[in-house]
Order: sequence, then structure tokens, then C-alpha cells
Amino acid sequence: MSEPSIDIGSRKIGWLCSFVPEELILAAGLEPIRIQGRVDAIEQAGGYLFPKICPYVENLLDSGLRLKLDGVAGMIFANSCDGMRRLLDLWRQYVSTPFSYMLEVPKNLTEDAMTYFADRLLDLKNSLEGAFGVEISESKLKQAIYVMNEHRSLVARIFEAQKEDPPRYKGSELLSILSAEGTRPKGEMTPLLSDLAMGRGATGSGSKRGIRLLVLGNRIDRPALFDMVEKAGGSIVVFDTCNGLRHYTELVENSMAPLEALARRYLLKPSCPRMPGFEARLERVKLLVREFRVQGIIYSALKFCDYGLFETPQVEKLSKELGLPALVLEDDYVWADIGRSRTRVEAFLEMVRSKLG
Amino acid sequence: MKEQYQQFLPFLHQRLASRPRGFDLFSRELLSAFVRAFDDNTKTVYVSGYAFPTELLWAFDMVPFDFEIACNNLPAATSGHGSTLMKISEGKGYSRDICAFDRLIIGCQLDGQLPKGDPYLTSSYYCHGKAKANEIVARSEGRESILFDVPNEISSASIKYVGAQLEEIAHKLEGVVGKRMDLDRLKEAMRSSNRSRSSLLEINELMRCKPCPWDGVRAGLLSLAAIFWGSPVQERINGMLLREIKERIEKRTASPESSRILWFPWVPVQQTNIFTILRENRVSVPMVEAAYVWWSELDEDHPFEALARKALENYMVGPADRRVKSLAKMAEEYEVDGAIHFATPACHHENAAFRLIRDAFRAKGLPVLNLEGDMTDERNYSPDQTASSLDSFLEIINERSKNQ
Repeated sequence: MSEPSIDIGSRKIGWLCSFVPEELILAAGLEPIRIQGRVDAIEQAGGYLFPKICPYVENLLDSGLRLKLDGVAGMIFANSCDGMRRLLDLWRQYVSTPFSYMLEVPKNLTEDAMTYFADRLLDLKNSLEGAFGVEISESKLKQAIYVMNEHRSLVARIFEAQKEDPPRYKGSELLSILSAEGTRPKGEMTPLLSDLAMGRGATGSGSKRGIRLLVLGNRIDRPALFDMVEKAGGSIVVFDTCNGLRHYTELVENSMAPLEALARRYLLKPSCPRMPGFEARLERVKLLVREFRVQGIIYSALKFCDYGLFETPQVEKLSKELGLPALVLEDDYVWADIGRSRTRVEAFLEMVRSKLG
Repeated sequence: MKEQYQQFLPFLHQRLASRPRGFDLFSRELLSAFVRAFDDNTKTVYVSGYAFPTELLWAFDMVPFDFEIACNNLPAATSGHGSTLMKISEGKGYSRDICAFDRLIIGCQLDGQLPKGDPYLTSSYYCHGKAKANEIVARSEGRESILFDVPNEISSASIKYVGAQLEEIAHKLEGVVGKRMDLDRLKEAMRSSNRSRSSLLEINELMRCKPCPWDGVRAGLLSLAAIFWGSPVQERINGMLLREIKERIEKRTASPESSRILWFPWVPVQQTNIFTILRENRVSVPMVEAAYVWWSELDEDHPFEALARKALENYMVGPADRRVKSLAKMAEEYEVDGAIHFATPACHHENAAFRLIRDAFRAKGLPVLNLEGDMTDERNYSPDQTASSLDSFLEIINERSKNQ
């Protein structure tokens, strides 16, 4: 099948959570933009929220209140957590975005859950069509699935090269690439990803043999952690976060009705701590440790993220069982407290180094 | 845990024998349920009563064990020493940024205080923390945690999804008890729940009287420890409360009041000086958000659909807008002079809605106090700060009620 061209146009739709199918946005002829928090310090959101709230949610609200999301015609939220749920409530009341939608995402993985999620995707589809006066035909949806599947496959190949010794790319480079994949037009990104998957554009900067690290956690948009690890002689060979490998794993099936296929793929992809079932995630950690020959784990969770806070003792326990050093870091999304984190990262890497002899 | 609750039962039996009171009956039945949960001969099902249609459970010969309420009402927690149990979970890596309720539950589990259960039911609504705590507890016992997943929108699709889960849970319960569910028994549980609902509506209507004939805070506690909905126990509790309240109105023995406030959402479990200060200032609490009747009468002809609707209609499910409108309505119905929001840390979904609620109240000229505290962790509670906040707020309230 030749690569279809999708006329994206300039109507941007912001989305936040890994459960939101970009395919629907693309098929509507709109441009999906994965929204990152755009402020470095909170100025207004504090008056709307409370101190112990997710810093990503706080940053998003502040960004919205200060109109730093110009040009976004709509926002698609997902009911990924309590904080996100309330962000939409506050967004609708205090931030002016022409279109906003809350995508309900089941927490169970039963057939009933798949059916329900497919129904919600149909509702999202209808809402986009109604709001933007477009038609999301089955053929457009299949084209969009093709594009996203291609991106997923390319990202998988790029990460595959990280299993090499030394890994082909620095972790910070991969973070930058994936950030661009989520925020730039898909048409622009496809050739770039292809080049990277083929090894073209490798700067050789992955050639320094650093301690091979796996980063787990939720949302990491800023490169601070990656930069400090690399400066201290570490090498983040893989990161399985909300915007890391986990987001790109599993393809959408072509053999079934598109909405059903999307529902299955998005629910059945490697789970995040939002979903019940620690065991599956811990098994995935073991797999990644093995495949990427990881020598240490960094669990980076947004401060006050309940899902992260409940999960870290399980990961720490697993790390001990695997005989792997683990470092748990809590961050404020913008990594303002970089000095303290740097000290901890350096100490951690020293410890791993001495363990490895 | 069993022994700690058992020691209270003789006292409650005696109180009920000498002076029957609805709240004492509730306390006795709740504690008795906690104690029975430990018996080897009973089938104990873990559940959060306020976040599950317990009518389904009363169709089976099981003991519902509200693990949240049981753990957080232990004497250590209620007497201001909850941190002794929390430190056990904190020592194993569970952060103090996790809700105190959940830290205490995990602490109890690590301390070997919990009964064996089967199944371990939990719910996605209200909050995600308790679902995670339930999962950790179940996992430690080698059991499955069953998540009752309730979406935040009501549609034919969500009713079907939730109803299907309830049927699946019923099937699992059949496996545990070893016999098929008696549908007539479920229908009777639903009829019983409807009768209790009617009596609660009547109670809530009487609570509008001035002075307020009962303590809304106790009504709130009853509503949060809600495992008896569907059982004749709830009917008896409500029946007794109704009689007491009517008697107080008839005999004009309700405590005098100088002002009224609406309380939302949670009532702290640990001892605080809050309600003493309110009482001393003759501030009555005619309504606590949790005690409001927010669900429709159950249609026994479509039991699983009806129970699914009950879950989906829960006031903590759905957009915050629903709560804002509901609270505004309560404030009007109960003619309150102000509202107090009890803000326990780590209650993300609830605290993050406060700004919306506050703005709605302010638009109506109603003062609102954001009272920071903690449900259970005494380390996060300052009596002096609380007294200071309340004093300032009550000055505003008193001024307002004088001018009206």
C-alpha cells in the first residue's frame, strides 16, 4: 500500500494522554498536537488548584490561563486520572477553547470494556465531525491508522537500535525525536523517523559506553533528567513512559472495523500505572531489562502522582529481586530542583559503577 | 482488629438496651460486621460501601467488609494516633503524599490486621487511591482485586458496561458462596433499599427544620459507611432516626442554633476540635453532602441496569458541574449561612473541584471556608490553625445571619 497523503491543514487539536487516538484527529483532517506544559513557573493556576496536585496538570492549566496554547482549536482530554478529570472541569470554566472533549477510558480489559471504549471513540468521532463540519469516513480512518502504524513501527526500529552496545542514540536525542513526533505534522515526521530507523542521522553520540539505564514513569517532557544522566556518564537506552516506548508499542489491527481496532489497540497496549494489574507491568520491566541489557533503573514520577506513588514500592521490590540498582525520583515537571536531582543521579551512577566493578 | 472492635460491642449492646438510638444501632451493626468478617465460617467480601451498590451483596450469604472504614476507625486512628499504622506502610516506601486513608489500609495489611476476603471488590469512583490500596492488599493475599469500573458519563453504553460488570461480579460471588444467586432475594434487597431511601428522604426533609433536629455530621458518617443498603438493618437504622428526629421536633428539644452551615465533602475520622467549636458557637450542620439522596429509586424489574444507574448517578461521578449544582441546591434548601469544605490532602478529584464550588457559592453571596486538615493523619492536623480559621469564618457567618 503506498503511503497515503493526508491533508492535515492548520486546524490544531491538542491532546494530552496516551489513550487518545491521534488517528481520529488525523482522519478528521485536523492536526494532532501533543500538548506539553509551556510555563517554567506557575503564576495563575495556584489560585485554581491546591498545592498537592500533579505538576503537569498545574502547568497545563497555567499554560491555558495565560493563553500559551494559541492556535489550538480544540482539546481532547482523557479520563486518565482524578487530576485530569478536574482539569477539564476547570478548563471549560476558566480557559476558552472552542472545542473540548473528555474521552472516557475504561480501566478493565474485558470484551465489554472494549465495546464500551469503541462506543466512546464513536462519540468522539461524531463530536469532531459536528464541531468541525468534517466527515471521518472509514477510508480516511484507515489511512490515518496506516500513518500512525508506520510511525509506531519506525519508533520500534529506532528503539531496537538502542539494544546495541553502545546504543545508537543518546536518550536525550530520542526524547527530542519523540517529542517532535507528537507535536509536529505527521507528514514532516515520517521521513525523519525513516532516516533515523535506517541509521541515517545517527550522530555517533551514542558511541560513548555509559551505564545502561531504563527510565520508567509517567510524563517526561523536559530533557533535564536525560541531560544530567548523560553528563554523569549514564546512558538512557530506553524509556518506557507515557511519551516513551510504551506509547508506541502495539499496532492497530487492519483486519477489523477501525473503531473496534483502535479500541483494542489503545486498551491493550502496554499498560501504565493507571490500569489495574501490577504484574503485567512488572513482567514488562523484566523484559525490557533483559532485552536492553539494563544495568540500572530510574523511576521518574511526577510529584503527587498517586499512580506513581503506589507503583514505586513494587518497582523497587522488583529491582531488588533482579539485583538491579534503582533510583526513584520525584519531579515537578519542569525540574526546577535540578541541583538536588543531579546530586542524587550522580550518586546513583557512582553506586552502579562500583557495583559493576 | 477483631479484638479491638469486639471490645466495644458489649457497651453498644447495653446502650441500645437502655436507650435505643439509631446511630448506636448503626455503630453496633457496623462493628459486628467488622468482627464477623474474621470468622472462618463466613464469606467475607471486601468492598467500599459508599462506592458500590451493596444491594447486590445482600442477595448472598456474605459479610461485606468495608476495609477503608474498618481500618480508619480503629482506635489508633480515631484517637489521634493513626500515624502509628501509617508509618508501617511508609517504612515500606509508600509516600506520605498518598492519601492517609490508603496508607493506613496498607499499614494494617502489613501489620497482619486484616481478615481474609474473597473477593476483593473495589471501585473506580470517588478516587483511584482506594482501588490501588485494595489491589495491593488483595495481591498480598494472593487474591484477585476486582475493579468495578464506573465511567464518568451516563449513556446507554455506560449503563450496559457497568451492568455487565455487576452481572460478572454476581457470577463470581456465586462461585464464592457455592450457589446461584436468588433473583428474588436481590429484588427484595432492592425493595429494602428503596424503603431506606424513602426514609432518608424524609429524614433529610426534616433536617430543614429550624433549629436543626439532628447532627448532619452523623448523617454524613452513616452515608459514608454505607454497607447496609439493601439490608433490613438500614431500614431499622433509618426508622429509629426518623422517630428520634420527629420526637425532637415535636418536643422542641433540638439544640438551639444561631447559624447553619453546609459541610462537604468528608467528615474527619480522627478526633478534632472542629465540631466542639461549632457546637460551642451554636452552629448546626443540617446537611453533609454525602448524606444527600443523589440516586433514583431502583427498578427491581431491571436489577442490574438499576444498580448500574445508581453507581453512575453517584454525586462523585461525572463532571464537577453536577456537584456544583447539587451543592448550590442543598445550600438553598437548607437555608445555610455558609459552607465548610474539609480539605484532606491527596484528595485530588475533590480538592481540585473546590474553586468551581467556591465561585458558585460566592456568586450567591454565600461564604465558604476551605478548612485544611486530614481525615486520619494527625501529623497533618493543627488544632490551633483550625480554631483560628473557624473563628474568623464564624464571625463572618454570624454577621451574615444577623443581617438577614
